[in-house]
Amino acid sequence: MMRSQIDVLSPQTIDEALTLLQQHQNTIRIIAGGSDIIIQLRDGAVKTEKLLNILALKDLRFIEEKDNRIHIGAVTTYSEIIRSEQIKKHAWILLQAAKQIGATQLQNTATIGGNLGNASPAGDTLPPLYALGTIVVTRNQSARREIPVEKFFISYRKIDLKPDELIEEIYFDRLTRNDAGSYLKLGLRKANAISVVDVAVVLRGKRGNSYRDVKVALGAVAPTIVRARACEQALIGRRLTEKSLREAAKISLDDASPITDIRGSAEYRRRVLGSLVYQALRKAVFEGNKV
Amino acid sequence: MRVEHDIRFKLNGQSIKVKCPPAYTLLEVLRDQLDVTSPKEDCAKGECGACTVIMNGQPVCSCLVLISQAEGSDIVTSDGLAKNGMLNAVQKAFIKHGAVQCGHCIPGMIVSASALLMRNPNPTRVDIKDALSGNLCRCTGYTKIIAAIEDAAKSRRV
Repeated sequence: MMRSQIDVLSPQTIDEALTLLQQHQNTIRIIAGGSDIIIQLRDGAVKTEKLLNILALKDLRFIEEKDNRIHIGAVTTYSEIIRSEQIKKHAWILLQAAKQIGATQLQNTATIGGNLGNASPAGDTLPPLYALGTIVVTRNQSARREIPVEKFFISYRKIDLKPDELIEEIYFDRLTRNDAGSYLKLGLRKANAISVVDVAVVLRGKRGNSYRDVKVALGAVAPTIVRARACEQALIGRRLTEKSLREAAKISLDDASPITDIRGSAEYRRRVLGSLVYQALRKAVFEGNKV
Repeated sequence: MRVEHDIRFKLNGQSIKVKCPPAYTLLEVLRDQLDVTSPKEDCAKGECGACTVIMNGQPVCSCLVLISQAEGSDIVTSDGLAKNGMLNAVQKAFIKHGAVQCGHCIPGMIVSASALLMRNPNPTRVDIKDALSGNLCRCTGYTKIIAAIEDAAKSRRV
């Protein structure tokens, strides 16, 4: 279908959007910020009769703190995340990731729900969301579903979102001063770079110099984001030293299955991954939570 | 079958209405239907910044915004920055510093720089580089561009 033949529906409320989705579920695609799907439409990688433009839905645009949790509406842009005091204080790893996505222009339009919906294995907000233990909230006309982010991503670019559903919001337990977390990205340049490898780590439940809960999430080294489970196990409850971090980081490779693409070879990704995980852990545990 | 919508928005201070396919990009409609050719289409992927316009006060790549998404918005292009025939501080400073080589990236650079000064009148060098990180100059003439923006910020303060 030529782009001149695609209709665009722009609802003003969530209810209106859900009704349109229900009516046109087999012929419509959702567009939020559009930074991925507009390119895919031009390349012919995505074909659709209609687009549901949800960018104007103000009710899906918020950052709120409630009961020690941070809630973010699906059409919240990266710029809004970058400017949020709550994110800086309680989810700084997401801020670190958002700042490194694209450049200013892209950050002003691209949305967090769009990053989830596009489901790229190199989506930069996704490792932080895995490390934070995020819940994705979806909705259709009759029901709301709450899905752990790891279950939401089924396989390469396949997500648990029914044709009549949209992503409403995400939420996660906020980070506190006692927690440690960091995000590191290896791109081919500083701005407008898609990740070669990126890593997010979150350590919670501090006791002395060990943590009860450790999550390490790896981006761009598997068909979806993956948790480095073996690495996490090697860290949980252990006294953390430079040496124990280095050893745990090495086994993050156990959970990665990188491929060769235009940005780097599988071999390069394998070599650089352990080093990036080590640096991320070191930054989180020993360098405080600098944003 | 071709689909067309009437889209209303504000372009460089004037309310306008344009009839066009709703899935066309803002850039396509600006250039091909409205003859506003200062935003350029180079990469069409949001990487080069040559199509940068200010949308509701924020710089965006007009190649990555559907015209439907611009409905009701306030769009300013490089040519809309001059008021009553007077260039703005950034435009004047680019001329003064000769911050132009082939010139192709310059409308985007000027829009990004002007948007920066609107929200941050006293930018550091790092702020300037950060604000321009989405604008590529393949002549690599960045030094004079950055100097011009520093000068523009200074001239706006006096």
